[in-house]
Amino acid sequence: MNNIRLLGTLIKINIQQELAYRADTLINILLSLMWLGWELLSLSIIFSNTATLGGWGPGELIALLGVWRLVNTLMAALIWPNTEKFNTSVRDGSLDYTLLQPASSLFLISFARIVIWRVWDIALAVVLIVVGIGMHGGATTAANLVAFLLLVASGGLIIYSLWIVLMACTFWFVKFDNNVTILQALMDSGRYPATVYPPWLRLIVTFVVPIAVATTVPMQALRGDLRWWQVLLFLGVGLASLLVARLVWRAGVRQYSGASA
Amino acid sequence: MLRIYRRMWQVNWFEQWQYRANLLMYLLYWLVSPIVYLAVWTTVANSQGSVGGLTANDFITYYLTLLIVDNLTSDITIHLLAYKIRDGTLSGELLKPVHPILTNTLMNNLAFKALTLLVLIPVWLGLCLLFRPDFSAVTIPALLLAIPAVVLGFGISFLFGAIITCVAFWTTRVYSLNEFYYALVVLFAGQFVPLDLMPPLIQRIAQYLPFQLLKYFPIQLILGRLPPDAIVRNFALAGLWFVAAVGLFLLVWRSGVKRFSAVGA
Repeated sequence: MNNIRLLGTLIKINIQQELAYRADTLINILLSLMWLGWELLSLSIIFSNTATLGGWGPGELIALLGVWRLVNTLMAALIWPNTEKFNTSVRDGSLDYTLLQPASSLFLISFARIVIWRVWDIALAVVLIVVGIGMHGGATTAANLVAFLLLVASGGLIIYSLWIVLMACTFWFVKFDNNVTILQALMDSGRYPATVYPPWLRLIVTFVVPIAVATTVPMQALRGDLRWWQVLLFLGVGLASLLVARLVWRAGVRQYSGASA
Repeated sequence: MLRIYRRMWQVNWFEQWQYRANLLMYLLYWLVSPIVYLAVWTTVANSQGSVGGLTANDFITYYLTLLIVDNLTSDITIHLLAYKIRDGTLSGELLKPVHPILTNTLMNNLAFKALTLLVLIPVWLGLCLLFRPDFSAVTIPALLLAIPAVVLGFGISFLFGAIITCVAFWTTRVYSLNEFYYALVVLFAGQFVPLDLMPPLIQRIAQYLPFQLLKYFPIQLILGRLPPDAIVRNFALAGLWFVAAVGLFLLVWRSGVKRFSAVGA
């Protein structure tokens, strides 16, 4: 309850900050539309040369693009801005003040900065998913749809947990400014079904940096490619990763001795 | 003058060498999207034999060559300089009797390139083992011809990067402008797919723009896929764009610096 009120306050502060830079917000929205245009054009180029990409049709790739944009929004709205703030606060010691607050430090670190205008990107992503599923046709069952939605949420949780673990590593290796670059670098791989990648790349985007678990896997559930136990397994991994991330974070905070101390 | 460049090279080489751990991360950025596109297009080519006359091997050699050419012709000026213009630390460099962009920044770009290439080459050889490209169409004369093409391509990309960075003299929104410029490169340089597979309208426009000179032209030249008249035309085009970029850069730089000192930042 307390956390929800706190989140409301943090959102209010971030809206106020954003309103100070209205022109930038407008430019950012235009740039995001431009990239959407490019992504759709690149899909149309692919499908003007082939009927399916590794068995996936245009509707499925548009929906996949929507899921990818959701994950990308998670990165751009929360992960990059908060990482930047976190890294600065470790270097100059202001992290101490965050840790002293009477609220969960993990919560404050995750939501201190929220890039509000990205809400627009979420709306676009949802439109892409709905249109994509519509184009894909009536083959979607209710069970597959539920599995899809749950796996999207659990994929987001897995990416979030990996992020927390990477940031917590900073407590042990103080000079670790590149902590999340690896997440960013592999993002592009999520726009296409991981099933078309060579096995070694598929292993990396599934197990090392699980971009595919948050993008390709939910789409596979929607297509009906996954058994029920596989769906449960991925959901379990999502919950387990959140628990592990919390443990690692706590251990890290205990280990942290402050930059000024 | 040569002594200045040698000294600048040493300084910047050591500066970049400090950040060698970060290089591995930058390299990942470089590698991921060409490999993803390679995987996408070889999947399509394998499922139906060829795409628009291009076989799976044509795509593999295209993207593997792209990795090297992209490294050679890309530039990082905006990341080196834009913040210096904004926070005023450029003043110190303006006091020196050498041009800050044409000496220091240029050398820093080259040092970065050399260092990334040191890491890229073994990774690239590893990728060749994985994808087994057939490079038999590459000839020595084509490789020699590609040297001036790559040098011109880097010159053009460096000058355009410098021009965009100089916009920081007027506005702080230079990173948005850079993103827009990058989108034009993605669209017109043949980075997503060899330009021959793009819609005809885009191909026609791309022909005259400088972006294909950074990637598509050198790659196709190396792979021996261009007829002689196309090679001559592209070299002429590269010369024209290079001269135009020099002129535009000098113009923007001179009026920008004047404005910079006028503000007194």
